[in-house]
Amino acid sequence: MSAFLEYVPGASPLHRMNPVAKLGAAALFAIACFCTSNLVFLAVLLVVGFALAASCGMVRQTIGLAKAVFAFSLILAIVQILTTPAGAVLVQLPWGYIGTGSLLAALTTVVRLVAAAIPLFLVFYVTKMNDVTNAVVKVLHVPYKYAFTFTSTIHFIPVFMNDMAGIMEAQTARGVEFDAGGIVKKVRLMVPLCVPLLVSSVRKTNSAAIAAEVRGFNLRTAASGYKEYPFAALDVAALAGSVVLVAVAVALGVLL
Amino acid sequence: MIEIKDFAFQYREGTRPVVSGINLTIPDGAFVGITGAAGSGKSTLTYALNGIVPHCYPGDFYGSVVVDGLDTCETALTDLSRVVGSVCQDVDSQFVTSVVEDEVLYGLENFAVPRDQMEGRVAQALADMGIPDLRDRVISSLSGGQKQKVAIASILAMRPKVLVLDEPTAELDPASSRSVFELLAAYAREHGTTVVVVEQKIALLSQYADLLVIVDEGRIRFADAPADVLEHADELKRIGVNCPRSTTLMNRLRASGAYAGPAVRTVQEACEALVEVVA
Repeated sequence: MSAFLEYVPGASPLHRMNPVAKLGAAALFAIACFCTSNLVFLAVLLVVGFALAASCGMVRQTIGLAKAVFAFSLILAIVQILTTPAGAVLVQLPWGYIGTGSLLAALTTVVRLVAAAIPLFLVFYVTKMNDVTNAVVKVLHVPYKYAFTFTSTIHFIPVFMNDMAGIMEAQTARGVEFDAGGIVKKVRLMVPLCVPLLVSSVRKTNSAAIAAEVRGFNLRTAASGYKEYPFAALDVAALAGSVVLVAVAVALGVLL
Repeated sequence: MIEIKDFAFQYREGTRPVVSGINLTIPDGAFVGITGAAGSGKSTLTYALNGIVPHCYPGDFYGSVVVDGLDTCETALTDLSRVVGSVCQDVDSQFVTSVVEDEVLYGLENFAVPRDQMEGRVAQALADMGIPDLRDRVISSLSGGQKQKVAIASILAMRPKVLVLDEPTAELDPASSRSVFELLAAYAREHGTTVVVVEQKIALLSQYADLLVIVDEGRIRFADAPADVLEHADELKRIGVNCPRSTTLMNRLRASGAYAGPAVRTVQEACEALVEVVA
């Protein structure tokens, strides 16, 4: 089973697409989500996101991601409900009211964030980190050091998550009850674990830096990469489709 | 050839030298095993060979370490890494990519190996480590032994003259450990590569190394053929190095007068010696 944001091998069209096209299309898709407040259009984008996930066999991972983003966006939604009095009054508050418009705005925020996140995260599940690095260096001419730093950060997320899980298991074995009590208690128990996690993270990143350096990291140039990343028809179509989505989102924002 | 003369090193944050008075000459193509108790300075010794000290871990560097004519103190780490390939103790943190093929390609791409040679080198390195079938696998899905072989293959692809490995079997079971050593020994024989391995499993070093180096409190206590080093079983025990069980068995028989031959290194040698004893 793959970890969070870890590449899952496959041969789907999304897997085969140019990494730069994937990144570009995902970014445009996210922009489209933020260019409109039309709930129907956002719902369509959400469905498109899940369809993309299904096309590359990542439905399970996408549902997991959607739950995580949903939990995060719920916090924003609650704030929005409490601070955006709009529409017919449903609940009167000392500082205003919760209206139908508040609920609609909150729902829009949740759908928007989940819809925007799905393609961005899918990119990392269907693209090797090395291909992302090499493609942005070769196609976008981003300096290798910056591209490597970015992809290394993504690369280390599952590593550090595993480390954290290991530390929590070790603490659980010594009687710490992470599974008892509420979220506040759990967070309070987790805070002291950040120190060993930080220590092991610094150690690991230092080792990785040395390992990269003794394998000629400093000699790397834009021409060094073995693979080439030409644009195919599918890549152009994906980018064009994403541009259309942005245009529709902007048009809906202006017209409605 | 590797030549270490009067080498001593103290880490910047340290209060005393971790290693000192090190003199060692390693001929080309030798398979060298370094062992010693924990904290004896074994890893620092290998860091001196691949230039990690003083280039990555600064400190006071005394004496000289020359690898294939390059002074490791004066040569840039990148230039040194063209000659010396290093496999770290924690292979998980050595990986910079997520897929085996990319990991093996990484060094080749950095060193701008001609494109038409890359495919052959990747295939050869994976074949040398006996893992051609792992080429498209995601690294995190591999077992400890497979990861270790991938880490070594990614270095072998660069075809270094010297291969330095820091406890390559630390997290492996006995069968995987033996497999790694067999593949390393076969590779070194075939390509004439000098191999320097830091390892706690002295039985493996005794079997595969041409030269066994025992480090104790930052100094080389013994540096000789494994059979000769194992003659000093009592002293090795005092400094925290246990001899292989076959060696201990035959040494006890020798102490009781039942066996009069030299120290044995392997189970095979012990069996042969026991046959003689029984006869």
